[in-house]
Amino acid sequence: MDGLPTHRLIPDLVVLPGTREELVAVVRLLAALGVSFVPRGAGTGLSGGALAAEGSVLLVLTRLNRIVRIDRDSRLAVVEPGVVNAKLGAAARPAGLQYAPDPSSQSACTIGGNVAENAGGPHCLKYGVTANHILALEVLLADGSLVEIGSPSGESWGPDLVGVFVGSEGNFGIATRITVRLTPLPRAVRTLLADFTGLRTAGEAVSAIIATGIVPAALEMMDQSCINAVEDSVYAAGYPRDAAAVLLVEIDGRNSDAVVAETDVVTDLLRQSGARSVRSAATEAERERLWQGRKKAFGAMGRLSRDLVVQDAVVPRSVLPQVLETIAAIATHYGLVVSNVFHAGDGNLHPNISFDATDPVLKNKVEAASAEIMQACIAAGGTITGEHGVGIDKMRYMPLIFDAESLGAMQAVRRVFDPDERVNPGKVVPVHACREWTHARGDRVGSRGAAPRGEAA
Amino acid sequence: MTGIARGGFEGLDACVHCGFCLQACPTFLATGDESDSPRGRIELMRGLERGDIAATDPALISHLDRCLGCRGCEPVCPSGVQYGHGLEAARSRIAGSRPVPGVARLALWALTTPGISSVVYWFARVLRATGLPRLLAGWGRFGFAMGMLAATRAAQGGGGRRKAAKARQVAPAAIRRPSPPLATLLFRGCVMQGLFSHVHDATIRTLGVNGYQVRDVSGQVCCGALHAHAGLLDEARALARVNVDAFGDGDEPIVVNSAGCGALMKEYGRLLDDLRGERFGARVRDVTELLAGSAMKGPVAGEPLDLHVAYDPPCHLLHAQGIAVQPLKLFAAIPLLELVPVPGAAECCGSAGLFTLLEPEMSRAVLQTKIDRLREAAPQVVATGNPGCLMQIGAGLAAAGSAARARHPVELLDDAYRAAGRYE
Amino acid sequence: MTILEKVTALLGEGAVLEAGTDRVPRVAPGSPDAVALLLGTAHQEGWRVRIEGAGTWLQSDAPADLALTTRRLDRIPAIEPSDLTATAEAGIGLDQLRQQLADRGAWLAIDPPGLAGRTLGSVVSTATAGPLRHGFGPIKDHLLGVTFVTGDGRMVQSGGRVMKNVAGYDLTRLQAGGFGAFGVIVLVHLRLRTLPRADVTYVLEGAREDLTQVGEDIAAAGLTPAALELVSPALARRERWVLAVRLAGSPALVAADEAGLGAASGGGRFSPLRAEEAHAFWMRLAEGFSVRPVTFRIGGVPAASDELLDLLQHQLGDEWISASPAAGAIRWTGDTNIDRLQRLRRTLAGLEVPLTLERAPWPLRGAVGHFGAYREGVGPLVAGLRRTFDPGGALVVATEGS
Repeated sequence: MDGLPTHRLIPDLVVLPGTREELVAVVRLLAALGVSFVPRGAGTGLSGGALAAEGSVLLVLTRLNRIVRIDRDSRLAVVEPGVVNAKLGAAARPAGLQYAPDPSSQSACTIGGNVAENAGGPHCLKYGVTANHILALEVLLADGSLVEIGSPSGESWGPDLVGVFVGSEGNFGIATRITVRLTPLPRAVRTLLADFTGLRTAGEAVSAIIATGIVPAALEMMDQSCINAVEDSVYAAGYPRDAAAVLLVEIDGRNSDAVVAETDVVTDLLRQSGARSVRSAATEAERERLWQGRKKAFGAMGRLSRDLVVQDAVVPRSVLPQVLETIAAIATHYGLVVSNVFHAGDGNLHPNISFDATDPVLKNKVEAASAEIMQACIAAGGTITGEHGVGIDKMRYMPLIFDAESLGAMQAVRRVFDPDERVNPGKVVPVHACREWTHARGDRVGSRGAAPRGEAA
Repeated sequence: MTGIARGGFEGLDACVHCGFCLQACPTFLATGDESDSPRGRIELMRGLERGDIAATDPALISHLDRCLGCRGCEPVCPSGVQYGHGLEAARSRIAGSRPVPGVARLALWALTTPGISSVVYWFARVLRATGLPRLLAGWGRFGFAMGMLAATRAAQGGGGRRKAAKARQVAPAAIRRPSPPLATLLFRGCVMQGLFSHVHDATIRTLGVNGYQVRDVSGQVCCGALHAHAGLLDEARALARVNVDAFGDGDEPIVVNSAGCGALMKEYGRLLDDLRGERFGARVRDVTELLAGSAMKGPVAGEPLDLHVAYDPPCHLLHAQGIAVQPLKLFAAIPLLELVPVPGAAECCGSAGLFTLLEPEMSRAVLQTKIDRLREAAPQVVATGNPGCLMQIGAGLAAAGSAARARHPVELLDDAYRAAGRYE
Repeated sequence: MTILEKVTALLGEGAVLEAGTDRVPRVAPGSPDAVALLLGTAHQEGWRVRIEGAGTWLQSDAPADLALTTRRLDRIPAIEPSDLTATAEAGIGLDQLRQQLADRGAWLAIDPPGLAGRTLGSVVSTATAGPLRHGFGPIKDHLLGVTFVTGDGRMVQSGGRVMKNVAGYDLTRLQAGGFGAFGVIVLVHLRLRTLPRADVTYVLEGAREDLTQVGEDIAAAGLTPAALELVSPALARRERWVLAVRLAGSPALVAADEAGLGAASGGGRFSPLRAEEAHAFWMRLAEGFSVRPVTFRIGGVPAASDELLDLLQHQLGDEWISASPAAGAIRWTGDTNIDRLQRLRRTLAGLEVPLTLERAPWPLRGAVGHFGAYREGVGPLVAGLRRTFDPGGALVVATEGS
């Protein structure tokens, strides 16, 4: 079980290794027995990526939580996979550095999970997603062998295997040591809260800001339903309850004059775009409160109903206003409550559907509405997941965006790392995908001992 | 279904398993096991309510037994899950289908049964007076018990060097002192009365300085919190009824200086499911609430104490009663006293009522983190307003060889008042 | 039938270009589908195919039965200035693409080494980032997705054209810097920025050690240059080493950084370049790397940058070097031989510094390989990926050397 309420599976066995050596020993044993396994961090995933089915062993990595070192000069940190995202941030702060990717679940989620899912977060608009911050990895493959990929500078030894591994949703192995890039803490920050009487005008304000060339650190949107859920919770941030939508805009940088100047430009733009009011956080405490409200919004929506599906899709930024209207229409059609809280600056939508999973009719409606929302996003030129991953929840949508050749290619790459598909089986790529690829080649990595060929010729 | 029909399980419905509670859970931090986290336990409790998991299931019992009940997960929960209510409901079901563990039975019998407990506490006090427990304190079972006992001893002659400012500005308190004084009733409890009577004395004196007249109430018994935590809801209710009768139907505040007792007594309405209990609960005040005053002006200032104090908010005060600021007002009333910030102070110490006896391993694991951080911060006094926490932290400090003492916040205020000559 | 006759039958006469000096037939498919058709046939027939772009970067000298050039894949299907994305075919010249983007107010923030007409596919497949890497990251950070054709003629898409995308495994990053070993890139989805409203370059000449210190001071002062490049005298065609600082972005940001630059350099010794001078400076720097026979890059942590520059000068001589110390990237160009290059790669491997050979004549590149000095267990993975995407070994790429 994780953050995804529609799926629940029970593994055969759960193992909580306390050291890397124990983990390696367990994986080697499983390799010898031919048993499949699923790595799991904090279980905050939203696509069912860390669910283990019958016949699988769940490897819980929460105890591998050491920060091995923080290197101030080279601006990097080496951590074990179970380190909690926010704890890495806290450990880097005294050195004047930050680990930029900040998924909303950062108070609980682990770096290992972030790597597996290529996690995003509000501040990825400016700083990039997890993939932009991983320099090197030590990877434990399905057969129990340890491989080092990438280097501390980010330049790879050959092809960019780190780039391929990040976001592979645990299908390629377990990252046992993770070298991350740290970036200097911004010296100046301005956080704005703008409220709008219409979703569309809020969406247009987003486009207007992007068009200036100013890259805000974050540009987030919340609609009324979400605002109210947050305001009812312990994380109440003072968002105006009567607003149709609010935008949370953060400008940061290392030069306060520039930040002030850019903030002025953005403030004017927000007003011109129809913001009813633009409020600037006066203190660090107020800024923190504005952000806590945003980051805990998912949990706060538990107030709306017993269950909640957090959807994740990305559309080109220019079509945000239309897509939001389409989503609202779909919600009305199915009689469902859909709340929107998302990374507007990236076009990364999170429509949340509140429902009661004990009602089977309702559950079916949610599935149908989710599928329609996905199709609408794809039709608008978007994709089915921007940061939550495919897991098991989105597999059925994969054929909507990738043809059989492309799915087959993905499957084949997976089999280079994990020939028996024992790591996190049954995820990401639908099983029926073009088996031909792997069969035609017959190159199971059982033959990995073969000498690498220098030339294709 | 109504709340009563589901007995508290309905408090869990808001959970959408976001996982934000994990890092707030001391037992999860100790084991890293989802089943030792609030989210995992909620899943188990939901299974129990649905009937998917039997109340006799050993894994269920073990993970719920290992919950401290600190409710540290509640204030971080964005959707407002009432974890404590769910836990109580689940424990009640478990208690209904298994005998309460022998150690728990024995401890409850020895510590809360009138007649029996007075003998036990007498022996304990005699042993304490020998000074042996302090010497024998350690991490082992016996050593830890000795450390806990040693921690209940009143500080010799108060703590901290008193500033010799002899110019006693007597009774500016009179300005604040309403006339006639407000009457309050003291809840004495079992462990507090048996081992912490000096805290009761300090409570009466400090409240006196601040315009309260504290009256004793006869016929009162143990609050029942330990029973409720163990799932013995019927026994808890029986004790609650006795207390409701004893304190009568007046409207004087009932002052409590044990966070664990206060937390349950404020909820007598829910426990007894009647109006009298409700009214009783509404009268209950933690001593720090009365001293801080309704306008949060804080108590009358005392003499300066040159002390470094780490405040460790008891879970049942901070999370269960939502009392965070009031205790700080006590420290603010003591000039020179310096509060030492300790990371993770709001995390549970692992005492949790009988938990320290029933789950010693987990309890020590949780405590260890706190003690490590305390040693780093090196305060002279660790202040906390709950007997279990005083004993647990006190024993941990003693076992770790730290010179710091665990004391109740009113004891410090009491020292400052004594130094100021307010009792002369 | 000869190979040429078969290809003509397959793709039409227009696809066959004049052969180069080594007389290897040169074929320019006009569409991604034609690339797939050609490679599918090559796979069946057992032809060995080398990949070319505009022919301005990597030497066109690998032994092959056929040269496939992407130069007719030069369309730009989409530029979306409001989304800051574009889709372009791999054979488009970077100069042309840049012009078209500028006309729409958009900017691709990469400045790879080589001539202005280098193809987009060449830049992506070799992951050759230039000085802008300091401010805007490596090539892979500018890619939203790619379409490529495998060595046996299958067309595969990865990624998409939105800003964030985690649908499926990231094969885009496998292609960026894969040197064509895993297929031929035919289409690229790009992440753009708005054309900077202010864009200025300052240079400072001096001894290398002094300039390194100034570079560190600039970073410590909190400036955020788009490029901060340390250039050797030979490459810069100046008397001494040059530290070039490019500030690009909103006028407010650039103005603030300009003010800070004077302070960081201890009193305004930096001299500004006029717009055309700046353009010429950066272009000359880029072109310098396609003049000499061998070019490679190495990546070390910022703190090791000075030591690595010493090592390069010592082992290979004071040639043409350009470094982004803070980004941990150093590029060298000049003349050298197999032994020295292999020895250098081994030495660097001991320092955890990878060396990627970007261009070299075939005899050297075939022997040394673009890649090498893999950590244990990496070689088999690369070989497995190679077999997956080019099962018949049709694509001639000097991956690890012989």
